[in-house]
Amino acid sequence: MASFSLPTNHALPSLLHSHTPKATFFQNPSLLPKSSQSQFHGLKLSNSSLVSIPSTSYVKGSIVAKITEGSLAPAFTLKDQDGKTVSLSKFKGKPVVVYFYPADETPGCTKQACAFRDSYEKFKKAGAEVIGISGDDPASHKAFKQKYKLPFTLLSDDSNKVRKEWGVPSDLFGALPGRQTYVLDKNGVVRLIYNNQFQPEKHIDETLKFLQSA
Amino acid sequence: MWSFLVLHNTTRMAILPHHNPTLRPLYHSRMSHRILLQTSIYCSTTTTPAKPRGDQIMVNQPSALGQNVATVSTRPVLNDPTLQSTWTHRVWVASGCTTVLISLAKSITTAIDSHILIEPILAGFIGYVLADLGSGIYHWGIDNYGDSRTPFFGNQIEAFQGHHKWPWTITRRQFANNLHALARAVTFTVLPFDLICNDNAVLFGFVGVCSGCIMFSQQFHAWAHSTKSKLPAAVVALQDAGILVSRSQHAAHHRPPYNNNYCIVSGVWNEFLDNSKFFEALEMLFFFKLGVRPRSWTEPNSEWTEETESAHL
Repeated sequence: MASFSLPTNHALPSLLHSHTPKATFFQNPSLLPKSSQSQFHGLKLSNSSLVSIPSTSYVKGSIVAKITEGSLAPAFTLKDQDGKTVSLSKFKGKPVVVYFYPADETPGCTKQACAFRDSYEKFKKAGAEVIGISGDDPASHKAFKQKYKLPFTLLSDDSNKVRKEWGVPSDLFGALPGRQTYVLDKNGVVRLIYNNQFQPEKHIDETLKFLQSA
Repeated sequence: MWSFLVLHNTTRMAILPHHNPTLRPLYHSRMSHRILLQTSIYCSTTTTPAKPRGDQIMVNQPSALGQNVATVSTRPVLNDPTLQSTWTHRVWVASGCTTVLISLAKSITTAIDSHILIEPILAGFIGYVLADLGSGIYHWGIDNYGDSRTPFFGNQIEAFQGHHKWPWTITRRQFANNLHALARAVTFTVLPFDLICNDNAVLFGFVGVCSGCIMFSQQFHAWAHSTKSKLPAAVVALQDAGILVSRSQHAAHHRPPYNNNYCIVSGVWNEFLDNSKFFEALEMLFFFKLGVRPRSWTEPNSEWTEETESAHL
């Protein structure tokens, strides 16, 4: 995989994501998907080329193929809140909602987790499982899960490896881990990606709507 | 009978203002007739209720969550010295007003000499608008970060905490007592402009109005904690018109989780800042970059839970 540095432009007025660079980065200047809206109101990626900030990000890194709709979700094995290793492959055979969130015990993430909890039965009815992933350690996840009585698994993405691998975009010019949810079908193929940092409950609405209509 | 009881820890309040004149509790809750919390009161057998001071009353007071939190409090004294203005307070308010008036006067005289009108007025308007934004950001910072040991800001932070707990106190403060801390800051900030800057109608228009609004924001704040019946009609009209922060808007700030409606000049920025999650974004940024959690994330928090008060004091 090639590595390179790109020029940074932090003068953008809107809070666009900082993306992991991809091979087509330089070829598509400042095009946003049709369905994009401001970050605060949610960004549903309904086409496969999420294009980055125009021309300009100094991001040192490798080019990775970003996960988009239609991609096969890359396998991962992470520790859950009890310290047990959990692989994504374990969930093959049924739809999975994988939601990446910034951190335990922050207001948005708490709202989101509780919203998933409150709608969990509906997800189960749709045959889906729910997994939350953040960079927090298993102990933090365990406390978070217990405090809010979350019925689903929380995984510890040590050093945010999986987050980077899946290309979850950051917010606030890279300062804030992004809040992005993936719906995988029973074959592990990504069917929906939804991003919204500051309206966390919408993740539940959108993914449930999708699952129920599928 | 219970509604007549005022829970006011004068000992604690005495500590805060005496030790630092910059303290200024800012907030006020809804008055008792709006407070839905129920208060149970148990009188200590060692005190005489008839005494004007020093009654020790154990109170079981519901917190925001409805859990009972016992507090020991003393019956308040109407002329609590910590709420009164001293001559030092008055001097600072006078100096603050003087620097603001000089700025405004320079703006007006220069405008007349230069035959311009719109630009200084516009600059003044922008000053008024930005004063509201500034008040919100400053207020958010002081409310959420640091504590009494923080250098320079420590006493203010403690005062803000105290204000959340005893919000009605601000309406009992005399004018100079309430404003002197801001007046002092304004004096130091505006005086250099007055002395050094050339006559510039636009600059002085902006500085004069902005600093004036900031200095008087404590008064606007106190008015926002008062009841309609106790306010002059002109003030009520200004609040209703959105020119001064309204009582209802500020009351929203005093409800858990205490993380909205931070602006206290006109409140014009509140809706935008809250809807755009501006402060939430800043809080997340501070959390991820500096590892600090804002106080509002730990709500409901007994530190900020208001103590109820009688409407009849």
